[in-house]
Amino acid sequence: MRIREKQISKFGWMALLLMIVAVASTVPLRAAGSAVNGASVYRGMCSKCHGRHGEGVKGKYEDALQGNRLLEKLSRYIERAMPDDDPGKCSTPEAVAVADYIYKSFYSREARARNHPARVELVRLTNRQYVNTVADLFQHFTGYEPFIPTDHGLSGTYYAAKFLMADKRVTNRLDRTVDFDFGTGVPDQEHYKATNEFSIEWLGCLLPEETGDYEFMVRTQNAMRLWVNNDHEENPSIDAWVSSGQLAEHRVRMRLIGGRAYPLRLQYFRMADKTASISLFWKPPRGVEQLIPARNFSPKWGLHPVFVETTAFPADDSSVGYERGVSISKAWDEAATQAAIEAAHYAVDNLDHLTKSKSTDTNRVEKLTQFCTEFAATAFRTPLTAEQKQLLVTDQFKKAKKVEDAVKRSVLLTLKSPEFLYVGLQEQHADDFVVASRLSFGLWDSLPDAELEKLAAAHQLHSSEQIARQANRMLNDPRTRAKMQAILHHWLQMDRVESFSKDEKLFPGFTPEVVSDLRISLDQFLSDAVWSEASDYRKLLLADYLYLNNRLAKFYSIGGNGSDDFVKVTPDAKERFGVLTHPYLLAAFSYTKQSSPIHRGVFLTRNIVGRALRPPPMAQTFNDASFAPNQTMREKVAQLTRPQACQSCHSVINPLGFSLENFDAVGRYRMRENDRPIDAVTEYTTDDGEKIKLTGARDIAEFALSSEQAQDAFIEQLFNQVVKQPMLAYGVEVKAGLRKSFVDSHFNMQKLLVEIVKISALHGLEKPVSSSSKS
Amino acid sequence: MNALHRRQFIKRFGLTAAALPFIMGLPSLGLAAPARPRQRLVIVFSPNGTIPTEFWPDATGTNFQLKGILSPLEAYKDRMLVLRGLANKVRGDGDGHMRGMSCLLTGIELFPGNIQGGSDTPAGWAKGPSIDQELKGFFQSREVTRTRFGSLEFGVGVTDRADPWTRMSYGRPNQPIAPISDPYQMYQKLYGQLRDRENLESILVDVRDDLKKVRKLISAEDRRMLEQHESLVRQMEHEVKESERQKLLVGPPSFEDGIADQNDNVPRLSRMQIDLLVNSFVNDMARVATLQYTKSVGQAKMSWLNITDTHHTLSHEPDKNTDAVDKLIKINRWFTGEIRYLVEKLSSTPEPGATGSMLDHTLIVMANELGKGNSHTLENIPFVLIGGGFGFKMGRSLNLDNQPHNRLHLALAHGAGHRIPTFGKPELCTGGPLNLV
Repeated sequence: MRIREKQISKFGWMALLLMIVAVASTVPLRAAGSAVNGASVYRGMCSKCHGRHGEGVKGKYEDALQGNRLLEKLSRYIERAMPDDDPGKCSTPEAVAVADYIYKSFYSREARARNHPARVELVRLTNRQYVNTVADLFQHFTGYEPFIPTDHGLSGTYYAAKFLMADKRVTNRLDRTVDFDFGTGVPDQEHYKATNEFSIEWLGCLLPEETGDYEFMVRTQNAMRLWVNNDHEENPSIDAWVSSGQLAEHRVRMRLIGGRAYPLRLQYFRMADKTASISLFWKPPRGVEQLIPARNFSPKWGLHPVFVETTAFPADDSSVGYERGVSISKAWDEAATQAAIEAAHYAVDNLDHLTKSKSTDTNRVEKLTQFCTEFAATAFRTPLTAEQKQLLVTDQFKKAKKVEDAVKRSVLLTLKSPEFLYVGLQEQHADDFVVASRLSFGLWDSLPDAELEKLAAAHQLHSSEQIARQANRMLNDPRTRAKMQAILHHWLQMDRVESFSKDEKLFPGFTPEVVSDLRISLDQFLSDAVWSEASDYRKLLLADYLYLNNRLAKFYSIGGNGSDDFVKVTPDAKERFGVLTHPYLLAAFSYTKQSSPIHRGVFLTRNIVGRALRPPPMAQTFNDASFAPNQTMREKVAQLTRPQACQSCHSVINPLGFSLENFDAVGRYRMRENDRPIDAVTEYTTDDGEKIKLTGARDIAEFALSSEQAQDAFIEQLFNQVVKQPMLAYGVEVKAGLRKSFVDSHFNMQKLLVEIVKISALHGLEKPVSSSSKS
Repeated sequence: MNALHRRQFIKRFGLTAAALPFIMGLPSLGLAAPARPRQRLVIVFSPNGTIPTEFWPDATGTNFQLKGILSPLEAYKDRMLVLRGLANKVRGDGDGHMRGMSCLLTGIELFPGNIQGGSDTPAGWAKGPSIDQELKGFFQSREVTRTRFGSLEFGVGVTDRADPWTRMSYGRPNQPIAPISDPYQMYQKLYGQLRDRENLESILVDVRDDLKKVRKLISAEDRRMLEQHESLVRQMEHEVKESERQKLLVGPPSFEDGIADQNDNVPRLSRMQIDLLVNSFVNDMARVATLQYTKSVGQAKMSWLNITDTHHTLSHEPDKNTDAVDKLIKINRWFTGEIRYLVEKLSSTPEPGATGSMLDHTLIVMANELGKGNSHTLENIPFVLIGGGFGFKMGRSLNLDNQPHNRLHLALAHGAGHRIPTFGKPELCTGGPLNLV
């Protein structure tokens, strides 16, 4: 407005001043030097898709607006990429302001912790924990001996007569496998020439890796008896003592828990049959029928059978990225009941052995009540109160008409009680027994052992040093190895692979045997990386060797030394780097005929690099026929994911996936695809805008190893699976602390395990409670 | 209701023809003719042959007298079919006892093998299925005759070893079926689930109380899962109670505790097994059963008959040892007495859902591995049929004049509606099934 200088009166100046002040006051004072109000920017430009309080909007951005970026990187990202549909709309000062607003209100860890404090929740036993806990509950009575096998094979004793007669013993030796063809008669002419009858007994234990149903098969034309996980002398697992002279295959199925050792005994004799031979096979879960390899045998004899419950449970909830027992369903309750009945039957069927008494003993009832009391206390992981003992034991023996029913009811009631089924009932008053339980469930997914129980009872299990000492001891138990293997399988999605079906014309020779070998090869690699002295995480991503047997070496054209065993091989050509290029994973993340950069890219993004990805806005199947035939896979995927809506994720996924294009659908290295050269050079943009050139697997590995985000993802994955609680529940500073100690220890995975389980064990123990409060 | 039923019904209930039209229409009398009346087969085995002179009636036809060994069945003479003249003509590997046992119900040779008997060549298992398993398969293959178990194999004093002397039932060639010699184990098999449910019911209330108690001690956020758990336990309590009003016609027999599987307990074990057998039939858990006393070459000591010698040893005494012969007669009479107990129970139990007694619908086959112990003869195997339901004309003593026993098995199969052309070794089936109607 024009101000007529001649006519500005005092009143006019006052009015002008007022107006300026009025206008000035409508401009909000800016915080931290920005000229813009973050809250109102958010309201205007962001809340439509992200929700008023960043909770997400169905149909738009459904996830909560939270993450791990630092404030500066967050604002740079927003400036560059947001809003989604018009990134240029948000100016630099607006980006800075809104980043600050959301960071403090709901985005950052601190904000989240403030809004919804994460807590250690009450959970029930996961299925894996249930099966292991019940097995160890019975082993508590029969005796458990942790041992890491050194020799492999079975101890074979040979006799120059049928029926294993002691005075006709010829020799004893270590037989790596059982696969013998004695032709028309005898093991050798020297010792057996006086007779054409001979017998052999193999003793030792079986070391299965996977949990599941196994089928054992003995092929022979002679007589045999086999006991697996069975010490009932008169009731073998396979009884073929009566033979018919014709080659036969005798089979038995049973369920076994991976990572444990089971007694195995095989008796064999030849009498009147014209020819003699014997071979011992198995078909493991996810595997093919094959001779049981030496590495799955140990000659150690005398182990006690393990109770393996066979009831099928509904799958645990894995929606948070790891298995947790956070819900109860009717199907689960029925399964838990059926499993408890199974255990009750097992207890009664093995009562003499478990209670070290006989039905005719005068103090039998006393022994049985003692057993039931100890069973309940061990199951509850804490001494029983007088009231509990009355209910669980004394009352049952009073009410039941027969002692066997009393035992069954006591076991049933124990295994259906919340004190058994839930972990964390004592969270409010953590004592040494709770510490023992946190250690054992953390490292073993099972009950505390005798040593932990002893220390807890003596109130010597609550200081950081005591706990660390136990955790280190517990690393040497095979159950830790079994749990770690399960964790790595989950991390690499190996537990979700059901079958590989590849085009037979394009990939002849990629047989089920090769697939089975590949899985073993990967398992050996993982096991070696974790349990070597250095336990170096970097090896998982950068190691340049593979474990190969002859069949794999031939298929992948990487040498081949004629051995059926798996040996460490370093291929000459530097193409293989750790898990990222292991053929098992590459083949798993591929289609029937072609590689799949998308599957590989998603895996790398989420599991290796540690970036969150939301599910695709519209599901698209890959239809090869819709592309020009001479296009490379890279070109096809680039074309398919070109739309803007896809690019927000695929700009991250694709470069990672494309960099592995040198590996075909069965994980073989290639330079060409359909007569076009492979282009595996890509440019990957980190989420703070840094551009990194990737020329292949090695670059991805090195990037992942140097990125804090990737380290954090691994650590958090490990934490979640070990403790089965959110890391945040233990404090906001836990993640950074673990990362620091991981780096300082040169990425030692065993040490990381110990640190993680220490945090869980020490939780809420600032004022250690006396553990003598129970009677 | 067909003509045969009507005649029997009238005879049994003493009704006049005039009363019939009215009664026929009443459903509550259960007279509605079953689609096909139930048929059941029980094969009872005892070892070491018999004493022929005290076993076989002199006369044939409908007018015959029972001698000492069969006399316990006097009251049921009109339900019996005595079959003299059947021989086990299976030769091949194995000694007389092995072939007597493992070819008895299979009618086919044994595989050559590694089990050496007292003579002849070593042998393995039988080369084919046994008639009880053959009929079990037939009944299970049809919905109208299918039952939970199909067949049940009972044993009394069978030693715990698997060889051609302890096995007479075969599901397939080379696949022997072990009898369950322990009545408690058989009880568990038949009624284990019932007991489990009872045990479960007795503890569910305690579980619910415990959950309630524990719920109060934990934080509010964690209570949700325990509340859900509690409501599931309540649901289970309700369901368990409901399922207890089960479709069992009769509850399980109640057994005394602690009767160990030992020689001197054989009489009590025998009665326990027979009780379970009849009970399982009433609840229609199976249509075929075998009851095996000891085994081929069985060496039981019948101390309850004041006999201290072992059975097999006695059976090899020469005929002129009259003391031994007397004892063997006593032993075999005792076996018949056990069969009488079985027959009595079936005869005094009404057939569920049909006319007559259970005996009318059950055929019991008495069998032995040998014709005579000391000669090991496989001729004149002591076969006797008791009961009904297969359409045979009972109340007779026959002499079949040296026929292969395969033909009896064929008659059993055909009587059940399973019209197989041969059973066991085909060459021994010439003439087809015996005509016993």
